Amino acid sequence: MKLFLALAILCLTAIKASAGDEKPVEFTLQEKQMIVAHGPWPLAMEPDSSNRYSGSDVAIAFGQRLFNDTRLSSERDLSCATCHKSSQSFADGMARSVGRNTVDRNTPSLANLRLNRWFGWSGGADTLWGQSVRPLQDEKEHNLTPDVLVERIAEDETLLGDYAQAFGAGVFDHEPELVMANVGKALAAWQETLKTPRTVFDQFRDVMAVGGTDYPTGFSLSAQRGLKLFVGKAKCSICHFGPNFTNGEFHDIGLSYFIEDGRVDSGRYAGIQTFQDTPFTRAGKYSDERPETAQKAPGQFVQLQHRNWGEFRVPSLRNVTNTAPYMHNGSLQDLNAVIDHYSTMDLERLHINGESLLQPLGLSDDDVSDLIAFLHSLSGAPSTQ
Amino acid sequence: MNLRQIGLPLFILSGFAVLVGNSYAQQKSPIIDTHIHYSHDAWEIFPPAKAIALLRQAGLKKAFVSSSNDDGTMMLHAQAPDFIVPVLRPYRRRGELRTWMHDPASLENVKTRLQPGLHRGIGEFHAYGDDINTDVLRGVIALAKEHDLFLHAHSDAEAVDLIFEQDPTARVLWAHSGFDDPEDVMVMLEKHDNLWADLAFRTDHAGNGKVDDDWRVLFEKYPDRMMIGTDTYTPERWPYVVAQAAWSRGWLDDLPADVAQKIAWENAENLLQARRKTDD
Repeated sequence: MKLFLALAILCLTAIKASAGDEKPVEFTLQEKQMIVAHGPWPLAMEPDSSNRYSGSDVAIAFGQRLFNDTRLSSERDLSCATCHKSSQSFADGMARSVGRNTVDRNTPSLANLRLNRWFGWSGGADTLWGQSVRPLQDEKEHNLTPDVLVERIAEDETLLGDYAQAFGAGVFDHEPELVMANVGKALAAWQETLKTPRTVFDQFRDVMAVGGTDYPTGFSLSAQRGLKLFVGKAKCSICHFGPNFTNGEFHDIGLSYFIEDGRVDSGRYAGIQTFQDTPFTRAGKYSDERPETAQKAPGQFVQLQHRNWGEFRVPSLRNVTNTAPYMHNGSLQDLNAVIDHYSTMDLERLHINGESLLQPLGLSDDDVSDLIAFLHSLSGAPSTQ
Repeated sequence: MNLRQIGLPLFILSGFAVLVGNSYAQQKSPIIDTHIHYSHDAWEIFPPAKAIALLRQAGLKKAFVSSSNDDGTMMLHAQAPDFIVPVLRPYRRRGELRTWMHDPASLENVKTRLQPGLHRGIGEFHAYGDDINTDVLRGVIALAKEHDLFLHAHSDAEAVDLIFEQDPTARVLWAHSGFDDPEDVMVMLEKHDNLWADLAFRTDHAGNGKVDDDWRVLFEKYPDRMMIGTDTYTPERWPYVVAQAAWSRGWLDDLPADVAQKIAWENAENLLQARRKTDD
């Protein structure tokens, strides 16, 4: 009995000592500045000036109904919600989604979209409404032509009324392509309302921003070490920067971008070509933005470059733990696989004069655990706010 | 055939090009791509016949191919000997590009693999500054001299200067034009008569079908020295050869037809025909 008690006391002491031995994480001034730059959250999100219905309650309600309406597909069996499931952070958990056929890319989560400069993995659109039109017309997805879209709206008195109420004119008063643009704008108005909440990281960051030390207890030491790696040795924050944890740009990170044997997803290269070929842009004829500002939009200056071949957009990391699998093709099943990719990066995959930032990180198992703990601190499923 | 002998037919062809006007984009005009790699990880995905088909789909007249390892180049050459120009890459795997200059086995690999009369150059190799003075690079430069081969050098300007210091008669194809500004490239072309430069993996010289002003000055001052290249450094970039050729025709169209034709393929042809001037 005495021996048992002694052992128990010894174990408890050891556990306590172990927990107490965890050193508090100290951040340099530079690290603190980097961390503070990842907030505040939430950001103010102004209505989209290229979409006159952005922020309109009527358009938002109509957009939400359309988002869930399977009649917006050629065979009446797919809606936006088929792949963007509200129960899965508006993604679908599949590596590559299935519409009419298996598509080439992973379904991205929908949240905080007003903060995007480019949309989709390849930036084929510079407006959310332009991006919303793309899957509607894609043969592998909704496969819907503007003419069929008009027919589908016209066959239902409720949809006809909703359209007229939202856009101030009947569906037959508009050219089919304008109807497509308007439907895109209603869908965008709804999607813009999907935002991720404040998280324990945001609380931690806000305390740091005012020079405080009373950090939230929910932000563990492991998460703090992960954060230190994130803005330091691992250099994640170079691309996953700012309150939305993305620089919004495109990079080749050394992943394969074959879709299947010999067929390549050229990523940003194709995205630029798509963008330059669509009327649904900030400076296009369906945009509501003033020409003075639309003509200064980034899309007006974009040019095809060799480096664009195989580049994909840097995704936000807010709520990242709930949006597996990862990467443009869903080829990495979990965050361990993602971090392992960066930790053991194959430099043969990158041009020597290309992404010079990327080097194998050589992270330890503890580093990986800490980084994942930090990423969990960004979790919070999107909802209408 | 010497440069003077091949000059006349090329001159006639150039004149024809002037007569028919600028039409690179419209006519899928010929291009020699001087910067193709067919390395180990591409062989299964794009077997030789498929790889050649892609190069032909791009409308290429010829392709300079170097591979890690050289088996890739040999496979393509066997498939299309009149189309593929073999260039011997020193690497056994692409991953050696940062270390090969310090590994004597690299030089042995070059000596073993080199087939005089078949290989037309050595490269594309990566070497910067003092790397040129390593035993491996000295050996490679000596081999090129011995067998009258050009050197395809992914190098900075200092390394290019050092190559010519070791062998003033060397012929160098400067990969990516050293990623230097056009003004600096011009300085190098002025300094070295036997220096040519490729434009692989750079887009600063043109955009949306228009040639950049500073590069236009260079192209028109040295129309005989610049070449087109893609750089298929991963298997995924093989299909890009087609896109790259189309993109190149777009901006070539913005140059005088004779200059465009030289850059598109004549300069590459001239590099192959050129022979080393003897030291004495």
